[in-house]
Amino acid sequence: MKRNALVFIALVVAILAMLASGKYLDRARRHGPLKLVGDVQGVAAPDFTLTSLDGRKVKLSDFRGKAVLLNFWATWCPPCKVEMPWFEDLQRQYGNAGLVVLGVAMDDTEPAKIAKYANELGVNYPVLLGTNQVSDDYGDVQYLPTTFYIGRDGTIVDKMTGLLDRKDVEEAVKKALSSSARPVDVRQKEARVDRKSSASKRDQTAPPSPDAMSTVVLAHP
Amino acid sequence: MASDDAAGCRTMKYILTRAMGVLLLAGFVSAQNAGDKPFVIMAPVGNVKVRAGATKDVPMDFRIGSEFHINSHTPKSPLLIPTALKLNPPPQVTVADVKYPAGEDQSFPFSPDEKLNVYSGDFSIDALLKVPANTPAGAYPVKGELRFQACDRSACYPPHSLPVQFQVTVLK
Repeated sequence: MKRNALVFIALVVAILAMLASGKYLDRARRHGPLKLVGDVQGVAAPDFTLTSLDGRKVKLSDFRGKAVLLNFWATWCPPCKVEMPWFEDLQRQYGNAGLVVLGVAMDDTEPAKIAKYANELGVNYPVLLGTNQVSDDYGDVQYLPTTFYIGRDGTIVDKMTGLLDRKDVEEAVKKALSSSARPVDVRQKEARVDRKSSASKRDQTAPPSPDAMSTVVLAHP
Repeated sequence: MASDDAAGCRTMKYILTRAMGVLLLAGFVSAQNAGDKPFVIMAPVGNVKVRAGATKDVPMDFRIGSEFHINSHTPKSPLLIPTALKLNPPPQVTVADVKYPAGEDQSFPFSPDEKLNVYSGDFSIDALLKVPANTPAGAYPVKGELRFQACDRSACYPPHSLPVQFQVTVLK
């Protein structure tokens, strides 16, 4: 009897370990090693070199000294379409003050289709072709639109996910234009994020909890 | 006394075995769900029985998570990604037709003036299977996937694929 009880306890411990590792592996499978998680304000924006729709190589660090609105979007994302005319206006309004708007198209389609769509919307800022690498570097950008506001010093001053109000966008642009903080090392910032329990109020990318529906086959976000 | 102990041990072993099974299942289910709310789930199709030389309509029932919607099979813009079922049956079974439900025209807070043709809640797709007369009796697995692209009320997620699998039993 004693032996059976020990076996039972060992099994329970093993299964609990399995549950924990299942969660960890699932997260690792979905996200890989995240570089930007939680509150990213004050973190140095990861540099990238991406190809624009007109074939130019565009490097983020070339815009040091300017405020950058970095918008991840896709042609299949109707909410993204709502923001783009705002960005065009803001580029016109604040371009001389040092604002640079960069769109990163996360489509898996031909650049010509993306260009046609952007032209139809009157996009007046560079549209870059997104890659898995840039998505990973910016914290696995899965939820579109996602916009990073980067200060003149290359640090992120705000991050917005999902469609918000135009005035929120403009406020973040002003914040980026007025930012003059010194860059923070990403690792230092991550350590700080780990100690904080709450993520940015505007960051809605946290994975939702399991659905109560009876599940047979799942397609996960 | 000795036989009482033996009976007690057997009972304990039985309880432990059942408890282990339940816990293993719980572990598996939890690992499958960890931290995620699924966009779309599928009800089991069950074993599809069809006589050789006949056709069979196979309904597949799906449920979309309460805060999501997905494009219908015929969205209003060619840029939007349509929901599509792709089945890869074995050579003994052919897919003669796939019937999609009509989507519902809905507007969303992100674009109140524009209507999108979407599925939300529960929907069903029918696949018409055809089995040639010379097909030997037996079980034939059919695999495939439902491709869709989901959005919620303020943002959209990249296209996803949901695995679809069922078995066709051909009778003589």
